[in-house]
Amino acid sequence: MVVAEGLTKVYGSGEAEVVALDGVSTAFERDRFTAIMGPSGSGKSTLMHILAGLDTPSAGTVTLDGVDITHLDDGELTKLRRDKLGFVFQFFNLLPVLTAEENLVLPLSIAGRKPDQEWVDQLIRTVGLEDRRTHRPAELSGGQQQRVAVARALVSKPAVVFADEPTGNLDSKASADVLDLLRRAVDEFRQTVVMVTHDPVAAAHADRLITLRDGKIVQDGAPGGADDVIELLKQLD
Amino acid sequence: MTRLSIKSIWARKVRAFATSLAVILGVAFIAGSYVLTDTIFAAFDEIFSESLQGTSVVITAQNPVKQESGEVPTIPASYLAKVNGVKGVKEAAGAIFTPGGFFNEENKAIGTKFAPKFISSTLPKGLESLTYVDGRRPRGPGEASLDKAAAESAGLGIGDTLKIIGAGKVEPFKLVGLTQLGHASFGGASIAQVTLPVAQQLTHKRGQFDQISVAADEGVSEQTLKRRIEKVLPLSARVETATEKANRSSEEIKENLGFLQTILLVFGYVAVLVGAFIIFNTFSITVAQRISEFGVLRTLGASRRQILGSVLLEAGVIGLIGAIVGLAGGYVVAVGLRALFAAIGADLPTTSPVLEARTVVVAFLVAFIVTALSALIPAVRSTRVPPIAALHAFRPAPSRRRRIVLRVLAGLLAVVGIAFVVAGLAGGGGIGTRAARIGGGGLAVVVAVSLFSPVLVRPLADLAGRPLEWVRRLTGRLARENAKRNPGRTATTAAALMIALALVTFITVFASGLKASVAKVIDENFAGGLVIENSDGFSPIPAGAALAAAKVPGVKSVASIRTAEAKLVGPGSTVKVNGPTPNIEEGVDIEWVKGGPEKLRHLRDDEAIVSDDFANEHNLEVGDSFELLSQSEVHSKLRVAGEFESKLGVFGDVLVTQAVMADAFRQTKDTTDFVILEPGANAEKVQAVLTLGAERSFPTAEVLNQGELREEREKQIDSVVSLFYVLLGLAVFISLVGVTNTLGLSIYERTRELGMLRAIGMSRRQVRTMIRYEAVITALIGAILGLVIGVVFAALIAQPLKQEGFTLSYPVGTLIGILVLAGLLGVLAAIIPARRASRLDVLESLQYE
Ligand SMILES: Nc1ncnc2c1ncn2[C@@H]1O[C@H](COP(=O)(O)OP(=O)(O)OP(=O)(O)O)[C@@H](O)[C@H]1O
Ligand SMILES: [Mg+2]
Repeated sequence: MVVAEGLTKVYGSGEAEVVALDGVSTAFERDRFTAIMGPSGSGKSTLMHILAGLDTPSAGTVTLDGVDITHLDDGELTKLRRDKLGFVFQFFNLLPVLTAEENLVLPLSIAGRKPDQEWVDQLIRTVGLEDRRTHRPAELSGGQQQRVAVARALVSKPAVVFADEPTGNLDSKASADVLDLLRRAVDEFRQTVVMVTHDPVAAAHADRLITLRDGKIVQDGAPGGADDVIELLKQLD
Repeated sequence: MTRLSIKSIWARKVRAFATSLAVILGVAFIAGSYVLTDTIFAAFDEIFSESLQGTSVVITAQNPVKQESGEVPTIPASYLAKVNGVKGVKEAAGAIFTPGGFFNEENKAIGTKFAPKFISSTLPKGLESLTYVDGRRPRGPGEASLDKAAAESAGLGIGDTLKIIGAGKVEPFKLVGLTQLGHASFGGASIAQVTLPVAQQLTHKRGQFDQISVAADEGVSEQTLKRRIEKVLPLSARVETATEKANRSSEEIKENLGFLQTILLVFGYVAVLVGAFIIFNTFSITVAQRISEFGVLRTLGASRRQILGSVLLEAGVIGLIGAIVGLAGGYVVAVGLRALFAAIGADLPTTSPVLEARTVVVAFLVAFIVTALSALIPAVRSTRVPPIAALHAFRPAPSRRRRIVLRVLAGLLAVVGIAFVVAGLAGGGGIGTRAARIGGGGLAVVVAVSLFSPVLVRPLADLAGRPLEWVRRLTGRLARENAKRNPGRTATTAAALMIALALVTFITVFASGLKASVAKVIDENFAGGLVIENSDGFSPIPAGAALAAAKVPGVKSVASIRTAEAKLVGPGSTVKVNGPTPNIEEGVDIEWVKGGPEKLRHLRDDEAIVSDDFANEHNLEVGDSFELLSQSEVHSKLRVAGEFESKLGVFGDVLVTQAVMADAFRQTKDTTDFVILEPGANAEKVQAVLTLGAERSFPTAEVLNQGELREEREKQIDSVVSLFYVLLGLAVFISLVGVTNTLGLSIYERTRELGMLRAIGMSRRQVRTMIRYEAVITALIGAILGLVIGVVFAALIAQPLKQEGFTLSYPVGTLIGILVLAGLLGVLAAIIPARRASRLDVLESLQYE
């Protein structure tokens, strides 16, 4: 359970002041797939970075499973990332020097934990890369790489997985695979996923859609189908 | 375009400086070597010309054969009367200037071990060059003066006792004056003055002078006076004007100390070579990182020439910084080197630092040529960037063909290099050409190995990295993979360290072989007894020491050898001649090839025993004759009476009687005394008695048993080796700068990756460990290659020396130590980049383009 309360982020000061987030309060319940949309510059990435402890807000707090994460030091943040958080990025997801499977279990290796082989096998099967285990990222397609990245975010069974435009760099087929994967993570593995996206089709996979504009939440509800999302965005414009 | 290049350098000024550092250090070392040696030479020039103040003409003996001991022949005192009879001579006086030893009341030596100490005689006021800054000139027996610097460092003042040893027993003097000569510092050298008769008696030169100084009458030129004096003296007298004498002395010093400059420059150029690898690597990496920038410039219409120019301009700026800062650093290096030499007992004269135009020219040439050459390949590569690179992530991979060409080239180079080394070893040509061949061949092999090393990086990284993985699984693994990621880059970085460590290894192995050989010679030759020699290890000691030792209870007999250099008439080569006592075989084991102990025992004054090498080289059989020319121009015809096996160490090539030594070679001092004990005598007790006696009467002498003798020799080797280590330290340091630089650039490339690792839970510590291990692996690759090359070269070069008794010995412990040290140096080199990587802001790194 992630709770954001009165999150404000201000960049610069005086003339150059930019209010990226303006008093955002919301909560992300367990086992839910939330999509965040909004026009460019509306504060989506900023919100997600603060929720994930990568950035600190100018005001407001974020609590993760009851713990305030906005005032942690580097060591505590590292521990938090190991135990509670998973990430999927738009670019540069995998370490080129490691194989697909090694990349997949990387968070566990970093934390010095032994991977549960059954769980790892299950993940590999889920992402459909049984015959690609020992391939290096350079030998995988973009979609396959991103699927490994999703599996990697899931491997430590985190409290919440954050994904910033995970399909931003993929074609529609590969995108569908990745989104399907995130959906199954929520449904089958009971994961919590928060995803920033520009793509109404992607947003339609979510249980809940939050729309940001000028750093404020302007809409919060079920997304419906892709057409509904497009309609919704039009209305908001 | 030029403005753009300068802007781009300015934008990366820290990087540019780090790159320059690789040139700066090498250039500074070369400039420093020149400044140091030029300053030393200038100091000597000052000393020589100062010491001839008021003198117009100087008469010394011709010196046809230079002696290793530095002793020069004397002239008879009778010349003085002849000179005084010459028209135009205002004043003439004979003088003594002979090496000796100085001690205080408690027999503690004054001045450093290897620094020369001179006994000199007072001259008439008009010819005297020493100025008395305190006290007065010695007037008679029992009085002496000392130069102020030596007196101060020994804590001596007027009225204190100064003990002086010449050719006989040490004698006490009352210090009556302190002197100074001009403004140059003597360094560690010192000079004591006594009256002429006292000096002659001290040095056993009664009726002899080392030189006659002459002052000319008003209006008589030096040249005129010289010509007039030449007419009244035999040809064996060398008559020179003061200017000529000063020039000759300077030339001789330059010849004698020239090796110092050469050695220092060799180390300087090694440092420059190492630096060249670093510059090459830095430019390769930055060019690769700026590919899209070049692509954009190309789409905007920049020509290939312009791109090439911009990279070369950058190299030029780095060369310029290298030359200027390097020259300035040269002064610091000169001071440091002087201190280094002083630390090992060679405190050299000095004066205000000398910067010759040649030094400036060399500094600029080296800096520019090295940077231009190193940057050329990367610069040419930058021109191959097509405009399309602006859009795509373009990585010009080296083509297969080029890789094969490179490998063939490396192979050829290695073969040629080894051929040169072998040719150099096999002989032919002077020592200079041979050394040049071996050195050039070595260089070719090193370059070949570094061309080939990208192929070796993978297996070596695995070899070096595996153990690290046992300690730290993931970070070790990632470090190993990262080191292998860009084999060319890792290889060049490691190659720089490889060169430095190959030399360290070579010197280590060679020195260890030398020590083992010396130990073997001592063990095989000096069975059981005691040895008396000069504590500096090479100067002769008074003959009285042997006579005194023979009287000590428990001593059965004393054998001694004397040494001189002679010229072999005909070939003109220099020959080391020894004069042993007939009983020498009681102290030294000789392996006879022809003849035997009886021959030596009853050697006649017209006979010689020669080494088998000497006999072979000059086609001499027993019964054949040859002729030697001595330093004092005496010709001795000698008949071969026997041959002994050449051995490292004890004897030179020719053995003659001590009578011949005295008459023809004027050598009456001993190089080494061998003390043979009575059976059953207590060696320790005898040694204690001898030591006490030596301290009291012959304080320059030292009594050593077999073990101490070996230690003494090993210590001498060690001190030279440590000097070399320190000099190589610079090259090692530069290669570490390379490791730091490469890592820094790689981290910059991997910023986003590092951000990702941090985001998925890697701690700062883990990031540091990962970077540190990458540096350790790179350093170890360099160390492994360097160790192999160093050992192979030492083994190669030892091969032809084997027949001369050289045994190779592998100091396994030390070699492992070098490996461990290299790893630690890697840790050191990683400190800055590891810190930077661990401090990266996670969010910023993730968004890094
Ligand atoms: N480091 C920063 N310094 C100053 N302003 C910033 C910084 N990061 C973001 N901003 C500003 O904050 C606002 C929100 O940025 P944010 O990146 O959150 O938008 P976004 O919704 O993710 O946009 P996009 O869809 O383009 O990714 C923008 O106006 C942006 O210019
Ligand atoms: Mg964004």
